[in-house]
Amino acid sequence: MQPSEIESYVDAAAAALGLPIAPEHRPGVLVYFALAAGMAELVMTQTLRPDDDPAPQFVPIAPGEAPLPDRQRAR
Amino acid sequence: MNAPALLGGSAAAIAAAVRSRTTSASELVEASLARIAATDGVVNAFTDRLEERARQRAAELDGQLAARDGATAGLPLLGVPFAVKNLFDVAGLVTRAGSRIERERPPARRDGPLVARLEEAGAVLVGALNMDEYAYGFTTENSHDGPTRNPHDPTRSAGGSSGGSAAAVAAGQVPLALGSDTNGSIRVPASLCGVFGLKPTYGRLPRNGTYPFVASLDHLGPFARSAEDLALAYDALQGHDSRDPGCVARPIEATAPTLVQRVDNLRVAVLGGWFEEQADAQARSAVSRVASALDARDTVTLPQVERARAAAFLITQAEGSTLHLPDLRRRAADFEPLSRDRFLAGALLPAAWLVQAQRLRRWFARRAAELLREFDLLIAPATPCVALPLGTEWLQLDRQRLPARPSLGLLTQPISFIGLPVCSVPVWGCHPKLPIGVQLIAAPWREDLVLRVAHHLQNQGIARAPVAAIPAAWAAEGAAGPRPGTPAAGTPP
Repeated sequence: MQPSEIESYVDAAAAALGLPIAPEHRPGVLVYFALAAGMAELVMTQTLRPDDDPAPQFVPIAPGEAPLPDRQRAR
Repeated sequence: MNAPALLGGSAAAIAAAVRSRTTSASELVEASLARIAATDGVVNAFTDRLEERARQRAAELDGQLAARDGATAGLPLLGVPFAVKNLFDVAGLVTRAGSRIERERPPARRDGPLVARLEEAGAVLVGALNMDEYAYGFTTENSHDGPTRNPHDPTRSAGGSSGGSAAAVAAGQVPLALGSDTNGSIRVPASLCGVFGLKPTYGRLPRNGTYPFVASLDHLGPFARSAEDLALAYDALQGHDSRDPGCVARPIEATAPTLVQRVDNLRVAVLGGWFEEQADAQARSAVSRVASALDARDTVTLPQVERARAAAFLITQAEGSTLHLPDLRRRAADFEPLSRDRFLAGALLPAAWLVQAQRLRRWFARRAAELLREFDLLIAPATPCVALPLGTEWLQLDRQRLPARPSLGLLTQPISFIGLPVCSVPVWGCHPKLPIGVQLIAAPWREDLVLRVAHHLQNQGIARAPVAAIPAAWAAEGAAGPRPGTPAAGTPP
């Protein structure tokens, strides 16, 4: 991604998420998004097959199988 | 041997001495609290000290021993002081996870499962330890609680994010500590502080009762100054807990009894490629020493390691940021300045990047499994270099100039990405004064192999973890450091 594309994307995605980015944080956010974009280029150009499933597997939860977490974090 | 001398030895020796009533759990707790009081002004490993709780627990153990309670006498970690990274729940303490924000929450109502399991094994919790905020860092330069300093040279970083855990063990404050490792946060500080660290297989130990960072990648594990102590702790920590959906229901597989098994029949190889290119001469020298001791003559490569590391980077950013999105929206200024902008950027990653990263994880795990059919153990440096001075921004690796803080995880991140068990062992003599760690990597669920080889290397004198002698000038002046002109570095052990 070009720097101008990163700026446009960051502003649009932040707006879509309702994530305000303060002017003093914006230069750093652009730097780190650019770093991630570089990483993504490596990831997105790796050839994968249809059976290379995403790693996380969901295990269905039967009634009674799921004790509550130790502590529900109130947010 | 008296309690202060025992504190500088192994957990196994402490438990034996308490069991034989040569000393008491109470004397060990007092020795640990005294060592913390004498050294933590420099090291800054502890954020919470639990004097009252520790003294009460030690007195209970001593009372049970006086009453000839056989079950107590048989506990494997009897009277061993320990401490935990401050993302572990400890009853009555706020689980701050290195942050300013979390300390506004109510205290934990009970100990997390791993804290409880160590205490059930006879160990005594003495406090909670410093870390990078929300575990997002490799240096424990925490703006809220101050940096943890490397006990072997207080001008340098202890590594992170479990920097307090490694430093407390290296400084002789406790013989045992717990930390977490998402991308290297056990192995990096273990390497830089010169202690042993175990990152078990992903899914082996339950993580409930700790503050999460990246559920897809988070692991918990112990630090110690010997492989035997790691094994004793790890054996006490094992056991399924269905409250962590990532914890795999496997039987407990005790490793301590297997440490003495032979290692000369193991097929061992050095990891080349990325793991050589991203390491300096001292890190490569440490690997050579370990390889030579294990008669490892093959150098092998994993494919596409750089892409695997990139995928771990993206998963970390996306999951970690989403976890904190409500606070990032409302109060971004309260986050650690060193990681805030990374968290904000991570919240914005396109979904396709994250999903593809998770698909690449499966692909890379298959490639590693193919290699681990041919070899029982793989060797790689734990960090690209020894501990860096606090505040270092850039790392020069041959012809590469890299941002220092994220680059400390270059060699650990691809391995935790696919959840393989790793023991980081400390090697001395490659740098004039400082240690560096070597990763011993095995197939999933083979913690026994990495611990057995670590034990062998310690017996051969290749790996060792001496207690740091805090430089006298620092001990006198505390965290302000020595006066200008005073030599800062510690005496090499």
